[in-house]
Amino acid sequence: MKLDNDYYVCTGCALLCDDIGVELEGGKLNKVHTACRKGFAFMKGCSNPMECTVNGERTDMDSSIKEAASILKNAERPLIFGHANSSSGAQKKAIDIARKTNGFIDDTSSFCQGPMVEAIMEGKLKTCTLDDVRHKADVIIYWGADPANSHPRHMSRYSYFPRGKERQRGWEEDRTAITIDVRKSDTAEICGQNGFYQIPVKGDAEFMDAMVSALSGKIPKTSYDLDKKKLLELASILKKAKFGVIFAGLGMVYALDDREPLYKLMDKLNSVSSFHLIPMAGHYNMRGFNQNLFEETGYINRVKFSSGEVLHGPEYSVVEVLRQKAVDAALVIGADPLSSLPRSVVRYLEKIPLIVIDPCQTLTSAKANVTIPCGLVGVETGGSAVRMDGVEIEVKQIVDTDRLSDEEIMTRISEAL
Amino acid sequence: MGFGQFLSAPETKLRIVTYRDVFQDSAKVVSIFGEDYEKLSAVIKLDPKDISKLAIKEGDTLILKNSSGKVIVKALNSGYDNPHTGTAYMVNSPWSNSLVPEDSGVTGVPDFKDFEVIASSAKGEKVTGIKEII
Ligand code: SF4
Repeated sequence: MKLDNDYYVCTGCALLCDDIGVELEGGKLNKVHTACRKGFAFMKGCSNPMECTVNGERTDMDSSIKEAASILKNAERPLIFGHANSSSGAQKKAIDIARKTNGFIDDTSSFCQGPMVEAIMEGKLKTCTLDDVRHKADVIIYWGADPANSHPRHMSRYSYFPRGKERQRGWEEDRTAITIDVRKSDTAEICGQNGFYQIPVKGDAEFMDAMVSALSGKIPKTSYDLDKKKLLELASILKKAKFGVIFAGLGMVYALDDREPLYKLMDKLNSVSSFHLIPMAGHYNMRGFNQNLFEETGYINRVKFSSGEVLHGPEYSVVEVLRQKAVDAALVIGADPLSSLPRSVVRYLEKIPLIVIDPCQTLTSAKANVTIPCGLVGVETGGSAVRMDGVEIEVKQIVDTDRLSDEEIMTRISEAL
Repeated sequence: MGFGQFLSAPETKLRIVTYRDVFQDSAKVVSIFGEDYEKLSAVIKLDPKDISKLAIKEGDTLILKNSSGKVIVKALNSGYDNPHTGTAYMVNSPWSNSLVPEDSGVTGVPDFKDFEVIASSAKGEKVTGIKEII
């Protein structure tokens, strides 16, 4: 048994914890220290690894790559989708493939944190890093976010419990944590009764307006029942914040029809104190894909290449192109749309030639014409990824494998086109 | 077959709000086809008053249906302090996604976290398996 003194990165979620200790035995991962339950399960690997198959028959890597390339070559309007659980190297190759095949390219941010990442990349929302939060944040708001379940080490590594350079007294005295949510989540329990603001489903925009009023010294109004005294107390806490941060969860993202109420709130907060926003990206490299596509095309998602031109808009989102049956083949990498999208939307994927690249069997791979296993990034292969706060993290390989990396597979498909 | 089989089960409309759960998410990482994942996913958390209204006991199965799909899941008491009759909670999963309407409205994003279903007792039928969903 060898105790490996290096620290590794967990790719179980977009927190990309970089303090993971491991013990190897016989070249295999035997123990994983420091990771949360989900990270531990992720690093140990799934119980149903993917195999190379073409039309349900087992085959070898060369044949499956050849078949994947042939499907893409024969398609007129392929969709290259997924990417949130892929290394940045594989994402860049995916963009190449979409360009070469005049395809559509989109990722999971298209139906999750896309609007927040876009606003940050366009400089419309002030942001900061998780390290800033650890060292400086004194008022932390989890809005429609439940990190206790979605990012289990978020509160202990960065946002609430740790000592930081300017927060030596930690959560007991130096930090105030607040949850704004439609239900009393595990995170809300940690924030306590005084730190929990329950709002009705889709009541977020009105609550934002009410907060702006309270911060302006006006009596807040909402169409639903609201404890006005408690809201005025909240305004007073926010005004006194030296370094505030809002962690925007999917609860907030899905509740807003547009970002205006959030922009107004952030402007108001920044006129009375200093507030930042970090989107709670779920998959480990969704933000990386957004940045990579943005660098290439000026857009973070929902793109179609057309003879060198870049088209962008809601009509190019994965949901719309599947609903409208606008694609005639699909390559899915680092995502499982059959699990994560409405059943009625993804049914069309079964009707077109489908390629899936993943370390594990997924619901989508069960319907695929071609399946190609790749190494698990962060364990079997290395690469780089972008944390939820936009910081790039190098991910090292821990064990040897004969599986190809996601980047190598995408490179080979691209070369075969 | 008991006499109850011939009576129509009371139906109720529920607004579903979805959430995340680390135990269910970890089970998915191990295997999306596994028993643990099904056990932790095919569940709905209800207000006790809705459980009575549906004439079921905690742990019984419920049929949830709307124009997007139909699944059978296990009914549990939410245990929340604040009453929430008419609103029920489901962990985000292929079971909840079977019921999410495909219409994506102004944002282009389906309403994953907020949709309506009609619930009624499944009269002892087993929960929908993952293989039946795909
Ligand atoms: S919080 Fe996320 S990155 Fe950290 S150990 Fe858990 S799953 Fe891995």
